Amino acid sequence: MKIAAGVDVGSTQTKAVLLGTNGETAMLARALTDTGANVRAAAEAAFGELCRTAGIAHSDVAFIVGTGYGRYNISFGNAQMTEITCHARGAHFLCPGARTVIDMGGQDSKAISVGANGEVLDFVMNDKCAAGTGRFLANAAEVMGIGLDQVGPLSLKAAYPVKIATVCTVFVESDILSYLAQGRKPEDILGGVHLAIAKRTVSLARRVPIEPKIAMTGGVARNCGMVAALEKVLGASVHVSREAHFAGALGAALFALERTDESFESAVWRGEHAGRSRN
Amino acid sequence: MSVQATEYRGSIHQQQKELMLQWYAALDRAAGNAAEQPVVSMMVSGNCVELLEGFGAVPLYPEVNALQLAIRHQSLDPILLAEELGYAADNCAYVKADIGAYLKGITPAGGRLPKPTLVLCNFVGCNTYLKWFEHTADLTGAPLYVLDVPFLRSEEPGEADIAYVVRQLKEVVARLESLTGRKFDYDRFQQATAYSAESEGLWSGIKHLAQRSPSPFDAYFDAITLMGPLYVYRARSEGVQFFRDALRELEQKPVSAEDEKFRLVVEGPPPYPYFRAFRDMFARWKACAVASTYSTVGGLWEFGFRHDPEKPFESVARHMLAQNVTNRNYLQRYEQIGHYLRAWDADGLIIHFVKSCRLFSAGQGDMREYFSRMGVPTLYIESDLEDPRYFSEAQTRNRLDAFFESLEHMKRTGARRMPLAAPQPSPLRVL
Repeated sequence: MKIAAGVDVGSTQTKAVLLGTNGETAMLARALTDTGANVRAAAEAAFGELCRTAGIAHSDVAFIVGTGYGRYNISFGNAQMTEITCHARGAHFLCPGARTVIDMGGQDSKAISVGANGEVLDFVMNDKCAAGTGRFLANAAEVMGIGLDQVGPLSLKAAYPVKIATVCTVFVESDILSYLAQGRKPEDILGGVHLAIAKRTVSLARRVPIEPKIAMTGGVARNCGMVAALEKVLGASVHVSREAHFAGALGAALFALERTDESFESAVWRGEHAGRSRN
Repeated sequence: MSVQATEYRGSIHQQQKELMLQWYAALDRAAGNAAEQPVVSMMVSGNCVELLEGFGAVPLYPEVNALQLAIRHQSLDPILLAEELGYAADNCAYVKADIGAYLKGITPAGGRLPKPTLVLCNFVGCNTYLKWFEHTADLTGAPLYVLDVPFLRSEEPGEADIAYVVRQLKEVVARLESLTGRKFDYDRFQQATAYSAESEGLWSGIKHLAQRSPSPFDAYFDAITLMGPLYVYRARSEGVQFFRDALRELEQKPVSAEDEKFRLVVEGPPPYPYFRAFRDMFARWKACAVASTYSTVGGLWEFGFRHDPEKPFESVARHMLAQNVTNRNYLQRYEQIGHYLRAWDADGLIIHFVKSCRLFSAGQGDMREYFSRMGVPTLYIESDLEDPRYFSEAQTRNRLDAFFESLEHMKRTGARRMPLAAPQPSPLRVL
């Protein structure tokens, strides 16, 4: 069996995926760890976990592709690619036929126009501003004293979402405090926060432009409130795979597998991990 | 992936360095003896250096000083000083660096900069210059003349526009005669336009070398090296000699197919505070800029325009009115870029948005969309030409890497989205 790995060192979390192919291709393991201050250590920890889970040695992995902001710090990688290219590939694999990928990570949000084979046709990203990213949500959650995993479900209960005037990750805090002082319900405030991020992201994504199918990837894809807000603003369904959080690492692993085997056919794996709509 | 050095360092780079140091030395001498050496401060875009030759005057370009500070990583302190004085965060960073450096007494080459004999605001497209030159005149105590060059509103400038600018140029002559006590040397002016025409032809020849594949010349990064002599020396015999040597050297420069993987058109000036890092981001992908709009700020000579010794005043006026990129509208810039993409056979377009330059950058979002819809792989990145605070190396590199990965895939699979669709009819056809 040929084995390859993808390691996606993001600003907040490091994701890793191990793929194996022997005629049929399967995900052998995946790993997730906080990136923290030591980027290299995070990459090594995630990769080590992959090997332990799969019960293999490092030397059994034929090729490793690093991606994400920390990709050049992966000491054991064989090649580096941007997370833009890897997310497109991973999302296309998880959601065949996807033409637009919205990736929301810790400090980046990006929209990628994807071709028929998962290649990048065009992309846009946020620039030097964390509005519309996971960081914006994390700040809002912290101000309200609510766990990050709770903000999505709670926002879905909003009956009268507030209007968030600012798109600044720092100044959103004063907006939220002001609404709390007015006695607005936490779910309505969070509903407003989610809509504000969705509007900003969709405004960014329209520049590629947006074409169905739309797939969402990145850590924020786990937030059901964010997916719902995006669907509301887009007026279209957004496909989110169970593995959406790992799309970058998966894309990297797919590229790595290609390097080990010229005849690799990724379609084999699609049936098992096709995306599902939240609608 | 290791960085492959693509920067060419030939004898012309040494010549360029010497010429620019001579220029700074002349400015230093003028600072010590204003009566002997007239100096005219003016802007690069659509500059009328030929006219100055009629007085033996040396040009002083504040943008060149500002960018030299940025390349030497000395621009932030002057910018911060200017902001302390009240210049807003989104004011042109060239202005802030220039004003701040003047107040701090910082000069790019370490020598003195003179008080100009005349601050000549050759207003070409950029309305910021009006305030910049007013401030320069106020700070230095030098007299100010504002040359009102109408924005190009049609394909060619009208006769009335040309006459209007010529009349003003003659007013400048009279003003300089009065300020310098020298009589305007018309023959020398005419000779200057002849030298310019020759330099411009040679420069155009260099730009056209980039139509070769692989190109021996990077029309963005290498062009910047040659742009100093183009603005300061083109109207003099030294300029002609320099460009003759440059063309010969570049024509003979050995270049192999492996040295060039991608051919690009670049719109917008570079981030000068990170010039080296930015260049390396292209070099590591073996990407060559075969054409750029920034290298036409001073003049659009690769499209055929030349100064005319038979009509020196009129040709200077035509150059200022129509033959530089900043005095032209966006549709005309689209045509210019489209022409580059086709005739220079480029793989894609990179647009560098400059945060503090509304004149050059406003509308570039639409430009990106326009060329994307035409099927041209187009990348849009943001930073600044002078202010280091707006440049994020990781973000910029990430975008460029992703763009090149995408181009690489297209080349590998033969899915190149070019060629560009046939040129769209425009009411303002230019070339």
